[in-house]
Amino acid sequence: MSTFTGFLRTRADDDLVALLRGRPDLAAPSPTTMSSLAVRATSRGSLERALASVDAGVLQVVEAVVALGGATRDRLRTAIADDETGFALVDASADRAVALALLFDSADSPDPLRAAPGVAELLGPYPAGLAPASSHDPDVAVVDELPAAPAGVQPVLDALTWGPPVGLAPSHSTATAAAVEWMLRRGLLVRGEGRHVILPRTVALALRGGRTHRSAALPPAPTFPTRAAATVAAESADAGERLVRLVTRLARTWERSPAGVLRSGGLGVRELRRLTAELEVDERTAALVVELAASAGLVADDGEEAPSFVPTVSFDEWSGQPLEQRWLTLARTWTATTRTPWLVGGRDDSGTVRSALGPDVARSWAPRLRRSVLSTLADLPGLAAPDESTVMELLAWRTPRAVPPASAVSAVLAEAAAVGALGAGALSAAGRALLEAPDDGPDPAAAALAADVPAAVDEMLLQGDLTGIVPGRPSDELEDLLDRAARVESRGGAVTVRFTAESVRAAFDAGATADGLLADLTRFSLTPVPQALEYLVRDAARRHGQLRAGAASSYLRSDDPALLAGLVDDPRLAGLGLFALAPTVLVAQAPTRELVDTLRAHGLAPAAETPDGHVLHLAREVRRAGRRGRGSAGRREVATPTTDADVAAVIRRLRAPEPAPGSAGSSSGGRERANREPDGPLDPTPDDLSEHGTDDPGDALLVLREAVADKANVWVDLVGPTGRPERRLLRPLRVDGGRLRAADVQRESELTVAVHRIASVRRVRPVTDEESA
Amino acid sequence: MTNGPLIVQSDKTLLLEVDHDQAEACRRAIAPFAELERAPEHVHTYRLTPLGLWNARAAGHDAEQVVDVLLEYSRYPVPHALLVDVADTMSRYGRLQLIKDPVHGLVLHSLDPAVLAEVTRSKRTAGLLGERLDDTDVIVHPSERGHLKQVLLKLGWPAEDLAGYVDGEAHAIALDQDGWSMRPYQQQAVDGFWHGGSGVVVLPCGAGKTIVGAGAMAKSSTTTLILVTNTVSARQWRDELVKRTSLTEDEIGEYSGARKEIRPVTIATYQVLTTRRKGVYSHLELLDARDWGLVVYDEVHLLPAPIFRMTADLQARRRLGLTATLVREDGREDEVFSLIGPKRFDAPWKDIEAQGYIAPADCVEVRLTLPDRDRMLYATAEPEDKYRLAATAPGKNRVVEQLVAQHPDDQVLVIGQYLDQLHELADHLQADLITGETTVHERQRLFDAFRAGEIHKLVVSKVANFSIDLPEASVAIQVSGSFGSRQEEAQRLGRIMRPKGDGRTAHFYTVVARDTVDQEFAAHRQRFLAEQGYAYSIVDAEDLAGA
Repeated sequence: MSTFTGFLRTRADDDLVALLRGRPDLAAPSPTTMSSLAVRATSRGSLERALASVDAGVLQVVEAVVALGGATRDRLRTAIADDETGFALVDASADRAVALALLFDSADSPDPLRAAPGVAELLGPYPAGLAPASSHDPDVAVVDELPAAPAGVQPVLDALTWGPPVGLAPSHSTATAAAVEWMLRRGLLVRGEGRHVILPRTVALALRGGRTHRSAALPPAPTFPTRAAATVAAESADAGERLVRLVTRLARTWERSPAGVLRSGGLGVRELRRLTAELEVDERTAALVVELAASAGLVADDGEEAPSFVPTVSFDEWSGQPLEQRWLTLARTWTATTRTPWLVGGRDDSGTVRSALGPDVARSWAPRLRRSVLSTLADLPGLAAPDESTVMELLAWRTPRAVPPASAVSAVLAEAAAVGALGAGALSAAGRALLEAPDDGPDPAAAALAADVPAAVDEMLLQGDLTGIVPGRPSDELEDLLDRAARVESRGGAVTVRFTAESVRAAFDAGATADGLLADLTRFSLTPVPQALEYLVRDAARRHGQLRAGAASSYLRSDDPALLAGLVDDPRLAGLGLFALAPTVLVAQAPTRELVDTLRAHGLAPAAETPDGHVLHLAREVRRAGRRGRGSAGRREVATPTTDADVAAVIRRLRAPEPAPGSAGSSSGGRERANREPDGPLDPTPDDLSEHGTDDPGDALLVLREAVADKANVWVDLVGPTGRPERRLLRPLRVDGGRLRAADVQRESELTVAVHRIASVRRVRPVTDEESA
Repeated sequence: MTNGPLIVQSDKTLLLEVDHDQAEACRRAIAPFAELERAPEHVHTYRLTPLGLWNARAAGHDAEQVVDVLLEYSRYPVPHALLVDVADTMSRYGRLQLIKDPVHGLVLHSLDPAVLAEVTRSKRTAGLLGERLDDTDVIVHPSERGHLKQVLLKLGWPAEDLAGYVDGEAHAIALDQDGWSMRPYQQQAVDGFWHGGSGVVVLPCGAGKTIVGAGAMAKSSTTTLILVTNTVSARQWRDELVKRTSLTEDEIGEYSGARKEIRPVTIATYQVLTTRRKGVYSHLELLDARDWGLVVYDEVHLLPAPIFRMTADLQARRRLGLTATLVREDGREDEVFSLIGPKRFDAPWKDIEAQGYIAPADCVEVRLTLPDRDRMLYATAEPEDKYRLAATAPGKNRVVEQLVAQHPDDQVLVIGQYLDQLHELADHLQADLITGETTVHERQRLFDAFRAGEIHKLVVSKVANFSIDLPEASVAIQVSGSFGSRQEEAQRLGRIMRPKGDGRTAHFYTVVARDTVDQEFAAHRQRFLAEQGYAYSIVDAEDLAGA
């Protein structure tokens, strides 16, 4: 009879590609042999991940197969569905489950569809609400007695038939207690532990009419509004552009005045509030911007003694890129990051406030959730803009074993809107492209955003009330001009700016001249520059620089201008950096001490005036930290083979002949010697573990799991507490939590042993039902 | 995507490109629901506010129309959230209605039981509502009609007042259209008001608000109480009513500090109504002295807070508010909405100007560089004295002289804040002076002489700000003001906005001292005037001398 490994071996290359695509954890690191792939595919962690990723239809099929202990496809259909739609769903779901190796076809068995080893353990004690099969299960005929049953029986059956099949028998002499007693006597119920009673699976199945599920879990068909394509494109592009602008402003803010790092590693509440004011956004958006910028490596802890967050050199590179590339960096970071900005500001279990960039704001499932929210929207027809509860309903069907909390879903939807993956609540072209994995070529997401961003406008309307209006998206050059010389009042389809004395002065501070600024304004303006604006610029220029500031370390003053004039011209004093501010005042670049000492050395008699005559150096400091990575999530993403070519390479390796670890001794005789202790060390052969055996601990687990599934016997080498090996013939019952529970066939006892004590395992010919009876 | 004239921003501002072919149609379409915020030369900015949207609802527009207009004229896709918000906001008006029930009297009726449940549970409505009749109706204490409307507006569920009005004491009033006739927009304003029941008519200064008031009175033909800002204004109302209607002087009473007459038509000042003796308003009886059929509020944007409280008790009477702007410096626009009523008519300033009913104006700021001595004085002055020092800079006198000399054939008003300065200017210009100290009689005499063209120059203090009709003034020179209030600016400009017989351009000069707070206040003024769409230019006082 074919085993799970055998099944994998018979899969076509395309099937294996589909498997590795569907369960990427199997492909990284690349498995070296087919048996190691089988081991990995049946490990608890991998199965859990796989089960968490399947929809309610697939889960139902897997449950049904486990509950029925194997089934034909026809049986499966009738066990779950009752009309053609349902049948189609069951068939498709079964195909999907086989493709994911949660079920496998064992062609030579009467019930060809079987659950992969290890799956049953994950579905709990009562898959599909059915009690496990037991040798004490009564004959189905007992159900015939039900029409004559006393009154209390029906409610008990109603409660237990569709599971869970366990109930607590009432302790008092009620009608129900009598009914339970009646049922126990006829074998319609059996006793469990304590006062529990169990509805035997044969009875339950008979009552259910042979079904495992009431009905097929058809996907929900919610109704939702749709949006116009132009609206979606405009709002998505607008959000994307805004995000890029906010990150840029964050970096510009922090390069001027870096934000301190808390001792715990995050950004303080006050710093975050300061940012909300600076960026003119709410706290949640500010947290998102900060987290994305940090995850993208655009800002980072500078690692100084008193650390602060500052832009990195990557930021400078980033800010030189075109808009769509800048957006792409942030959007890809968003899909990959494990950071969960929506938790910022909340409190953890100990009551501490979670700070942005702090250690407590990462969840490993965040990238998966973002992906599944986006793909949920992507699967809806048209430009659907479902509300939160609809998305929740769809997610609950798509991944019933991993339903995300509603708060996280709503936060991810809000994030998606802020990033521009959504526009007016519907998935935009750029958002859809984010679902595709990036490969070496140009990223389709960037192209999609670029297509949605309206063409840049290179002109504006200047008005007498000192406002300017760019009737569209300003070009980079115009944006830069407005950034320098004006204050933005409103953004959207157009940009409204206001010129004020302060904003114009800031332009002069940054090096502009009145003529230059007016020339720029004239160049971009569709109409003549209004007289009032020209006057404002000229006025600001006139006042700019009326006060002059500079740096000096010390000064000299004297009532004798001739004396001071002599000092400035004296070449011997050139090193002091003397400079005349006024006839009676000199300043020096040298510190007071040096100034006084040098003058004295040249025969003058200066007197130091004050102990601290320093002028502060007011030059602006621009700080940068070294290059940073993009966060751990980004790295992990890279390690997983993502393109079909990568996966094909993995499969080529799998198909390569496996090396024979120990060629001494052959198991060729083992096949005949059923239930007889083999001679010598258990000798695994490379071609089929399941049929033979292994001394690789990982492979041993697979053999054991398969033996559990097949009710087969195995020879096991156990290492005892003293280190002495001991060989037993066991029938494994359960492999779970690092322990094997097995029946010792020869000693007729049960034992539980830690898996790490198992040195090797070798399969014995499967025991048939007649033999075990 | 159309190539429309309108850009809808997500912050609820609407930008209208005025040079676009469809700009006029678009402006007419959005005017009912969007408030014009500024109207400079190229792009006008409108804003969507809850009050604006509710005004539109009160005027019979629904959310669908508003959304359609936005979609039709918008150049770019309209932010979806904004459309949702518009529909949401508009749907809130009128879900609650105040109606007159034949059995129970005044009743708050709801089309939506949930809303009624929400407002009846609110602490703010405690004591205003009586017995609950059923799911959709609750009795309202008649005395709390106004107060309840205020509270409901604050709760975001403005009520539609359909409870009607008392008829009031009938008194025949007719328009006497001999040699003049109501302008079309004035007639529309009267009709809009009458159709709506109560509410506010917004017309620019000089557009003939008094006539709209007279028209409403004729329509009502009942005893009328008119509330105005000051005594001079009261007299102007009286003269105008005598001239334009069948009313005689004997039928019109003045209720002010000086006189306390109660006649079928009584004109009272805000001041006398808000005078308190020992903590109580001593002239409240005026409100109940007759069974008024109509109450007219002049200059609604200046209505003092106590009048609001009194108005809350006048909800059973028809109320007409007249104003040039709904913008209040104190931000109490919502009280105007709930107590006087929604906006019933609005004509943009520039439109009426374009129709030739008010004069075009040219605004010039003259900047005067202070001599070094004055600059030093200014730099070292205490902060509270700085404005006065800058505003009363002696150099201004010469500038004013030059300006007056440039307009030998015009009627010139010189307006200022500080009496010393005004006296000095009056001496310099050999002009008459009107201040708060001038008797009402003397003021009337001077104004009459000015109107008649007997005197060409008049120096006035801020008493001239409000409601004094000087139609022939075509040049105003402002030397100092009260810290750049937008309100004051609108009023002063209004002084010279009256249409001129020969269609001349009006000139509005402001003389400011360079590099002082005076200039900062001038910046506010400049912004306001430019936003109103007036040509605004700046000249140096030195250049003026050469001109």
